[in-house]
Amino acid sequence: MTSLIYPAATHKRFEHSLGVMELAGRVFDVVTHSASLSDEVKRTIPEITQLHLLSYWRRVLRMAALCHDVGHLPFSHAAEKELLPTGWDHEKLTREIICSPLMSEIWNSITPPLRSEDVEKLAVGPRKATDLRFSTWETILSEIIVGDSFGVDRMDYLLRDSYHTGVPYGRFDHFRLIDTLRILPPASESDGVPSLGVEEGGLQSAEALLLGRYYMYSQVYFHPIRRIYDIHLKDFLAAWLDGGKFPIGVEQHLQLTDNEVYAALYQAARDSSRLGHNSAIRIAQHDHYKLLYQRHPDDVAVNSNSGEVIFKAASEKYGESNLRRDKYSQKGEVTRFPVQSKDGRIVQADQMSTVLKNLPLVSIDFIYIMPDLVNQASEWIKKERKTLIHPPQESS
Amino acid sequence: MNDLEKGLILAELADRLIAQGSWCGHTHLQKAVYFLQELLEVDLGLKYILYKHGPYSFDLEEVLLWCQSSFLLEKDYKASGYGPRLKPTGISKDHRSRFPRLLARHTRELSFVAERLGSKGVVGLERLATALFVSRELGDEVTLGQRVSRLRDYKPHISETDAHEAFTEFDEVARDAVKLRSFD
Repeated sequence: MTSLIYPAATHKRFEHSLGVMELAGRVFDVVTHSASLSDEVKRTIPEITQLHLLSYWRRVLRMAALCHDVGHLPFSHAAEKELLPTGWDHEKLTREIICSPLMSEIWNSITPPLRSEDVEKLAVGPRKATDLRFSTWETILSEIIVGDSFGVDRMDYLLRDSYHTGVPYGRFDHFRLIDTLRILPPASESDGVPSLGVEEGGLQSAEALLLGRYYMYSQVYFHPIRRIYDIHLKDFLAAWLDGGKFPIGVEQHLQLTDNEVYAALYQAARDSSRLGHNSAIRIAQHDHYKLLYQRHPDDVAVNSNSGEVIFKAASEKYGESNLRRDKYSQKGEVTRFPVQSKDGRIVQADQMSTVLKNLPLVSIDFIYIMPDLVNQASEWIKKERKTLIHPPQESS
Repeated sequence: MNDLEKGLILAELADRLIAQGSWCGHTHLQKAVYFLQELLEVDLGLKYILYKHGPYSFDLEEVLLWCQSSFLLEKDYKASGYGPRLKPTGISKDHRSRFPRLLARHTRELSFVAERLGSKGVVGLERLATALFVSRELGDEVTLGQRVSRLRDYKPHISETDAHEAFTEFDEVARDAVKLRSFD
């Protein structure tokens, strides 16, 4: 839906997946180069000194990077939570596809064959594969792809989305950042295990990535109009899909792409008898719900759930079907990674960087309303805000 | 428990840990909440896995970020050499005063965790929390030696002596937790 706001943003997930695969290989070559490895890291991670194992894991990493998004639904995150059965998300679908007979045939045809479980682990990481046990080595490799701070998934989508949207905030010096990534030993012997970090010389590139991420979230990914189109799309899909849910079978999943959904959406927009017509026409004719309220720090200071309070009150007054709400709060700590200072000490990034110490969190709470009602409702909120937003009370 | 209620429990725990001398950084809170949920059975709905520094919950990481964006907790970098402390705000104090029944329901458990873990550093917490993880994983039918061996499989940097001490201390904490719960 981003192309409705930024018309050149028509790039596909496949291009991104190729980019992630390429960057993952580059990072792997840098961080496993013998000159970059301390004796302690070599001792703790035996795989890193055995050439045949390195060659195997490099292939696993690149395949995992290529497939890390293969379970995404049409239009990616737009509708994932509500339109999949309970307990499912795109990472679970990704795991199912990677381990399917269809893909296993491919893994087995490689010499030497790749274990599907290895590809699965690196593609989704420990956060999303909580049932699998990760070695230190596997944790580091999965961080190369999906790490919160400088995973190559993030590097690629920031650079790629920035280029295609024409919004320059997402650019940073990824060459310098990749050249300075290292597998660093723990700060002290009693302090756990090696992890992926950066040399001090690359800290500014890491800062630029994380600032870029913050600005891209503010300006592109959480652009309020872009977000309401996602909600209209979700409403359309809930009406159009069988039982209001996406299929989770591998074959059916692979057959349903953006193209099929777009075709159905525009058909529904033209024909009032089709399921999802009302939502489809809002997208096709750019007649989206309007932004009525957004999270304001003064309101949150009075009540952490101020968005919910306003949404409930507005729904009662104007009718639930005339309102939509979209909220998101940052999921991962991005500023906690180790940095090796020039004198060899290992410190946490946010101890060395004032920029990272003060990096704002991404948090949104948008309430939208039917276009005809926006002026009236805005006046109502202006008048009633103080009465509506009061400190939370324990329910009796 | 909704996000706000979880946030208020976490803010109360942070306050109590700090009062017991804890630096109350991310690792301190991760391990203290692990004990609160797994041993004291305060159900916060958080999934834990064994990660770099012992048991870790990505769910809790999300809740802690929400608490910061909702002004219930704030980072404090004042002491050099440590990661940030997560300190309850004045807003959280005000909110907590409006939820007396929620906090009263869990006061004993919060006090227990703060008193037993508040004086510990991250290294001791990692060992103790991993001892809890291993004990839960292996169940009651195994020997101390088997538990030590499993812990050292997961965390080879922890010496055998330190692993033994961690289980001895954990068993004592677990016994006291059972006594505490038996007052219900």
